Amino acid sequence: MYLSINIDIPDGAGDAYDALARTADRVEAAKADFAILARAHGDQGLAPPRIEPVVSLPWIAGRLRTPLVVAAIPALHSVPFHIARALSAADFLTDGRCGWLPLLAGGARFDAAYGVAQPLSGGEALAKYDDFIRATRALWDSWDEDALIIDKASGAYLDSAKVRRVDYRGPYFAAMGPLNAARPPQGHPLLLRDLDEVGESATAADVVLGGLDRLDRLARAPKGAVRLLKVTAASLDDGLHHVRDGLADGLHLMGPDALELLEALRGWVDCPPYVGTTARQRLGLRKPVNPYSRKGAA
Amino acid sequence: MSRNNGRLHLWAFLQGIGFFPGGWRAPDATPRAVFQRDYYERVARLVDDACFDAIVFGDQLQGRDAAGRTPGRLAIPTLDPFTLLSVMAGVTRHVGLVATVSTTFNEPAEVAAKFAALNLVSQGRAGWNIVTTVHPNSPWNFGAADLLEKSLRYDRAKAFVDAAEVFWRDAAGLDDPQRAANLKNRWFDIAGTLDFPTSPQYRPVLVQAGQSPDGRNFAAQTAEAIFCPAPTLEAGRDYRDDIRERARTFGRNPDGILIMPGLAFVLGSTEEEAQRKHALMLELADDALCIEYLSESIGYDLTRHPAGGPIPLEQICAECEFPAGDVRRMLAPAAEAGETIADFCRAYARKPRGHAIFVGTPDQLADRMETWIDAGACDGFTLQPGYMPTELELFCAHVVPLLQVRGLLRRQYQGTTLRDHLAVGVGT
Repeated sequence: MYLSINIDIPDGAGDAYDALARTADRVEAAKADFAILARAHGDQGLAPPRIEPVVSLPWIAGRLRTPLVVAAIPALHSVPFHIARALSAADFLTDGRCGWLPLLAGGARFDAAYGVAQPLSGGEALAKYDDFIRATRALWDSWDEDALIIDKASGAYLDSAKVRRVDYRGPYFAAMGPLNAARPPQGHPLLLRDLDEVGESATAADVVLGGLDRLDRLARAPKGAVRLLKVTAASLDDGLHHVRDGLADGLHLMGPDALELLEALRGWVDCPPYVGTTARQRLGLRKPVNPYSRKGAA
Repeated sequence: MSRNNGRLHLWAFLQGIGFFPGGWRAPDATPRAVFQRDYYERVARLVDDACFDAIVFGDQLQGRDAAGRTPGRLAIPTLDPFTLLSVMAGVTRHVGLVATVSTTFNEPAEVAAKFAALNLVSQGRAGWNIVTTVHPNSPWNFGAADLLEKSLRYDRAKAFVDAAEVFWRDAAGLDDPQRAANLKNRWFDIAGTLDFPTSPQYRPVLVQAGQSPDGRNFAAQTAEAIFCPAPTLEAGRDYRDDIRERARTFGRNPDGILIMPGLAFVLGSTEEEAQRKHALMLELADDALCIEYLSESIGYDLTRHPAGGPIPLEQICAECEFPAGDVRRMLAPAAEAGETIADFCRAYARKPRGHAIFVGTPDQLADRMETWIDAGACDGFTLQPGYMPTELELFCAHVVPLLQVRGLLRRQYQGTTLRDHLAVGVGT
């Protein structure tokens, strides 16, 4: 059973740095399987964190050596090129332990800050969410896995035939590529989805999270996807019951006592027997196929 | 210990595998390590121990291809600067961390949030090298066809920095008398800021690299430190005098701006050894590499033509991705003189990016630095090791102690924030 938790600087924390560092160190000591840089609202809502997650993830991954580290990203206000670039670097520097959770949440707050006069309708927001994921993945696909050669003697650094312009054109985003960053070790960093806000999507997620009232959506998750059930101290017993019944693969712990809950659970929940280092290897997920790679190439 | 902050400032520009395009092939270069966390942690500790002001990473917003073909012999993947600096923040206590970020293909909210995060995880050591992006292919990655015209790019850059300032001031609980005008203007229509946490040095140190008149004015109004190429002492002094004069015109104290010209270096225990290493750097950049290097610089794939053949000037100017006028000015003399593609490219790749290149012993380098400082040609140097990590290690082991003995470089940090190290006050 996987144990997952979200981390952020608490509202009103006197020393933000200290609060974040201490939280991270407790999460590491409790050997969480997932640490998601996200802010909680209510008992099961997730939003992008107060601290910018893409920049703070590489730092916090230095303290979090055990968990998979995930950035909750405002999908409607982020740029695929910047995200693809940063997460490529993060995936390299965490040995393939990073993931991303694009969120619709936080829209109004971000709309004001980004100067968006007309908020998107629900359908438009979902279409932009999908477009954001597709554009970002297309940029990762602009490099083949085996593009780098790095042979000092011959002077061959990479195979030019394995890096390309992808000319992605979607309804909201366009990106020519190639990305100025190599294909991440995982192929694509792990994609997480919050089923409480995105029920249906044209893009398949690797890990899904949902509340107890979303068991139907968890059940429809793509085959092989890791299913995390959001619980608080009050709903822990129900959550454990559903995991035992095979309706979920782990718990995402929320509420004011989430950290204490994690520490208590780790007292008797064994860490999964991980094989390999990357998130995909640990979770038994396949690497994504690169549609641009020639046959036989990665 | 000395309470002297020193009058020589050192910044480490640590792009990829170093300054020379062929450097990744040096016997002791470690080109695969630039994809690993350990490498950045080790290099960051080295620079922190040597009392540099800051580590800087450049940035680009496009692939490195010319007309769709990515070079095969250049060591090109450049990891995202924020990511690298965030890793480095975790293993250092003092050294500043400067990221290059464009004001053209970003929004103030996002950039303000990112620097607030870097400033927080480093406890007040973030710096922002403000660029406007000049590469013609960059807009294509952001759904735009063309770049803004240059003076508009700087106009937006100024408005962008002013808007970001409001985000940082709001987060720190500081008033901004220009708040309303800085949030709503020709470029931006921002209704509210974000509640990210603040930290020491409420905003990043602002760094710029303006060269054109528009760029110099922007730098003189905004920057607390400036990068520039300065191939000679006189060029450095002229540039520094010019910026200081412009700063006075804008009502700023010129001592609030550090001028930090680029300086690439190759060190040897004797001059002969250093020359041998420099010759090796040039030799490792073979013709095929040099041709790709120029191809990237003009946005035209020269590998399609025979290396020993003439420069196809008209075809290049008709198809190149960079402005044809600039490319013609660069290539026409060589083309008319009948130079081959390989000849021209080899000469071009010898002096990458117009920065000064020092080749010699640690004593000679320390002498040169002292001469430049005494002549008012600069306030310090943005050091570009010939190749990584060897040249940086040599500098820290052999040049840093000399500079400290001469009282030019601090023996220990006198503060904890990047602005403390610069000792320029709060700036604007």
